[in-house]
Amino acid sequence: MTSVENPSEVLVETVTTVNGRVVTANVPARLHVADFLRQHLGLTGTHLGCEQGACGMCTVIVDGEAVKSCLMLACQLDGRNVQTVESLAEGDELNPLQQAFKEEHALQCGFCSPGFLMTATALAHQGRRPGRDEIREEITGVLCRCTGYDNVVTAIERWFAENPQGASEDPLPAVTDTIATQG
Amino acid sequence: MTTLEDPATEVDAVGVHERRRVIGTSQLRKEDDRLLRGDGRFTDDVDPARVLYMAVARCPYPHARIVRVDASAAAALDGVEHVLTPADIRRDTEPLTVLRPVPGAPQLPYYALAQDVATHEGQPVVSVVASSRHVAEDALELLDISYEPLPHVVDVLAALEPDAPVLHPSVLDSNLLAANSDGSGDPDARFAEADVVVEGRFRINRVTALPMETRGVVAEWRPGARELTVHCSSQVPHLIRKQLAETLRLHESDVRAVASDVGGGFGLKLGVFPEDVLACLHAIALRRPVKWSEDRAEHFRGSTHARESVHDYRIAADSTGRILAMTNVYATDIGGWNSPFGSAQLSSVVFNGPYKISDGYTERRVTLTNKTPVGAYRGYGQPEVNFAYERLMDQLARRLELDPVELRARNMVTPRDMPWKNPVGAVYDSGDYERCLRMAADAVDWAGHRAAGRTPRPDGRLVGIGFASFVERTGYASSRFLAKRGSVFGAHESVTLRANRSGGIDVYTGVSTMGQSSETAFAQVVADVVGTDYDAVRVHAGDTGASPLNTGAFASRTMIAAAGALRSAAEQLAAKTRRIAAWQLEAPVDEMEVAGSVVRVRADHSRALPLAAVYTTAITGQGMPPEEEPGLEATAHFEPPDAAYSFGTAAAQVAVDPLTGEFDIERFVLVHDGGTVVNPTIVEGQVRGGLAQGFGAALTEELRYDPETGQLVNGSMVDYFVPTAADLPHVELLHTAVPSPVTPFGVRGVGEAGTIPPGAAVANAVCDALADHGVELSALPITPEAIWSALAGRSSGGGDPELTPTTTDLPDGGVEY
Ligand code: FES
Ligand code: FES
Repeated sequence: MTSVENPSEVLVETVTTVNGRVVTANVPARLHVADFLRQHLGLTGTHLGCEQGACGMCTVIVDGEAVKSCLMLACQLDGRNVQTVESLAEGDELNPLQQAFKEEHALQCGFCSPGFLMTATALAHQGRRPGRDEIREEITGVLCRCTGYDNVVTAIERWFAENPQGASEDPLPAVTDTIATQG
Repeated sequence: MTTLEDPATEVDAVGVHERRRVIGTSQLRKEDDRLLRGDGRFTDDVDPARVLYMAVARCPYPHARIVRVDASAAAALDGVEHVLTPADIRRDTEPLTVLRPVPGAPQLPYYALAQDVATHEGQPVVSVVASSRHVAEDALELLDISYEPLPHVVDVLAALEPDAPVLHPSVLDSNLLAANSDGSGDPDARFAEADVVVEGRFRINRVTALPMETRGVVAEWRPGARELTVHCSSQVPHLIRKQLAETLRLHESDVRAVASDVGGGFGLKLGVFPEDVLACLHAIALRRPVKWSEDRAEHFRGSTHARESVHDYRIAADSTGRILAMTNVYATDIGGWNSPFGSAQLSSVVFNGPYKISDGYTERRVTLTNKTPVGAYRGYGQPEVNFAYERLMDQLARRLELDPVELRARNMVTPRDMPWKNPVGAVYDSGDYERCLRMAADAVDWAGHRAAGRTPRPDGRLVGIGFASFVERTGYASSRFLAKRGSVFGAHESVTLRANRSGGIDVYTGVSTMGQSSETAFAQVVADVVGTDYDAVRVHAGDTGASPLNTGAFASRTMIAAAGALRSAAEQLAAKTRRIAAWQLEAPVDEMEVAGSVVRVRADHSRALPLAAVYTTAITGQGMPPEEEPGLEATAHFEPPDAAYSFGTAAAQVAVDPLTGEFDIERFVLVHDGGTVVNPTIVEGQVRGGLAQGFGAALTEELRYDPETGQLVNGSMVDYFVPTAADLPHVELLHTAVPSPVTPFGVRGVGEAGTIPPGAAVANAVCDALADHGVELSALPITPEAIWSALAGRSSGGGDPELTPTTTDLPDGGVEY
């Protein structure tokens, strides 16, 4: 079969930091961040539920802010700092936010959990200390079809109550090494 | 959560002794660590080397003849590896099969790609595999497909009219796929002699389960080994294996289906869909792994929808409010094809809800329309009829000027009546329905509300309280029942337990993990029965290559059936463990007990062996008692003798603006009985999650089709409103715990109850508030606009002729549900 060249397949060199590692990659220009994280870096904890900015499954933190990674192109990460759910656990231990989710039964199928965890983590990065009603509002960008949300709100509320120092933590993981990946 | 009876006492009754009990406690979940660390393995996370990506071209019309397919330009695009067209499918596959057929329905020629005519927007027509999803989608743009649009019908009643375009003329003369009627007694005579008859037409909205993880499949073929490995997001991997083998003309032994983590199922992920077949065919042709991940636009058109139906309900009563008869004739929309679980069957099974009637009938008309196929969705027909009969109960109370709570109480099946068979043959096992009703009424201070009268608040709003009492069929009433209904699966569950040299027990099950916490609950049962630590039990779920053949996770049946199998296998494993240890310690077997990580002499704990040592003895066969076979493994099967019926009552308090129809749900109380509770936190989570879906379907969710174009107008997450964290009312949960006599440990299913009562309770509350305005809602969803229309007497409806039953001879006693 003779092949016809595809004009849409353009590669862009991108240098970004993901969970503390510098990543140099040649990414297709139309690749969004979630696919880049999942397919190129194997960070499959970031999920996709709509690719339309409506469900929040793909929420990650870019330069300290919660971002829907299906709405951002991988090449736009150039020079930025990305944090995904894989960075949260402390060694083999869940971090206090994850532990609160576990103890409050804030997940059932767990497909939405990374979105909620990153949204809450971003709130802390911003120095926010939301109350219960505010938490409800803040997490409306992430949908959950299993839990009815009550336990998610409770887990986040408890985490803020028990970790008043949360926001003064270093917002982003330190750079540890570098990796290169092909487009 | 308030639990009235300690379920643990019931556990004692079935022979679990005074160990530290795990059943009945809120153990932290086995599933959580991996899911919280982003380390779950959902289907799209499976990423084999050299994987290729599939994209699917779909019919853009509701009904169209496919005149020509030219895929040459697409096939020539750089990166495209393979294309399948309708002709390939006709040559290489059999039609898709149905798991839960509609009795009396012919098999429809449903192929993975539309043959000649497509019957709904979104039906697959061509599939393409390429080096990336992007390239595969580029190739779709290059396909040249000519369609000839045909007349379509999207309204379920219009589809039954004689002039409607017929969807499947090769096997049917009309769009009635089949009609099923059931009943007992002489309802017509009861209606003739009744003092009062209330009746109405109730329209239930088309909604969709919308799991956050869409469907997906990764297929891999090793021709030399004749081994097709299929990772899929499914509630029923063993049934996927069966259906794929049938459709692909393979042996079951050639297929291994794996569903590890499933991001929500809710009934939608039951059985094989066209894309599963397509991915396998591509993988077989290419000898390379092929992945398809459904995007959300495809999900809205190519998965399944649910619930849409029109019910003509009647209740006859005497002047004291005693119900004499109840009937429901309804048309239920199945869409363009019969999906694996097709039309919901429980609308007929529990059409009388918790009320005791001996004369009644129900008739289901399963109707084809040019819309996305309907499949199972949590609740499976029960929310639909609950809305209708509970709305009519309130109308009956108003007609007779009776207290609606008293009217309900007077007609409920009582504990003394049970086991009790309803007019279609469903056997209600046990429970105290009235107690739940009274608890709900007390919780919302119903007496105070009645006494206060309908005085508007200073802001003009009127307050109303509404109730919805329900029963929920959980599990199946035996394989005999399923056989009568033509279902191709069993009522049982099977598990394998295997001891390992680390001192742990591995549990192998075909029940995939989709949020129902089965890994946790299964481990709790095994730990309890064996006497070992919860942490020592590990559940391996959803791999047909490793688990015994089973049925799967649906119909709130998992725990009911699996608990029996787990108990039996655990007992076998524990008994052998004690025999080996007794021989090694030279102690009598009946004095041995397993306790945590050791097996020991009950009266002398210094005489103990580590479980790891005993298990190793069995696994190596070295040091076994002479008469004992080596190995330590048990497989058990369990079929519950009957279905268990969960039950409860919800009460909603609303404040309605009688000018605009706007309303707030100020309180929502659910009193629910799920029998013996294995894990209180998980049960509460299931109930709350079900309620969230129930509120969505009752208040904001509705898939709308444009009658002119036949197209879905709100098929995206931006336009279809599932509840967010800020949208749900505060829910107060109360529980009773009456053990079911027909299930292991007395458990009842808990997965679906929450979906049932929100619509009826909220609608009854609104109608209570607006009783002086004569508002009687009869359609879902309940929106301010619908209330405003009803207030202004603008409601549409009326005029349509009632659905009348087609049979006069009723099969007495029904078909034994
Ligand atoms: S996948 Fe990004 S918001 Fe839904
Ligand atoms: S836990 Fe399943 S979507 Fe939230």
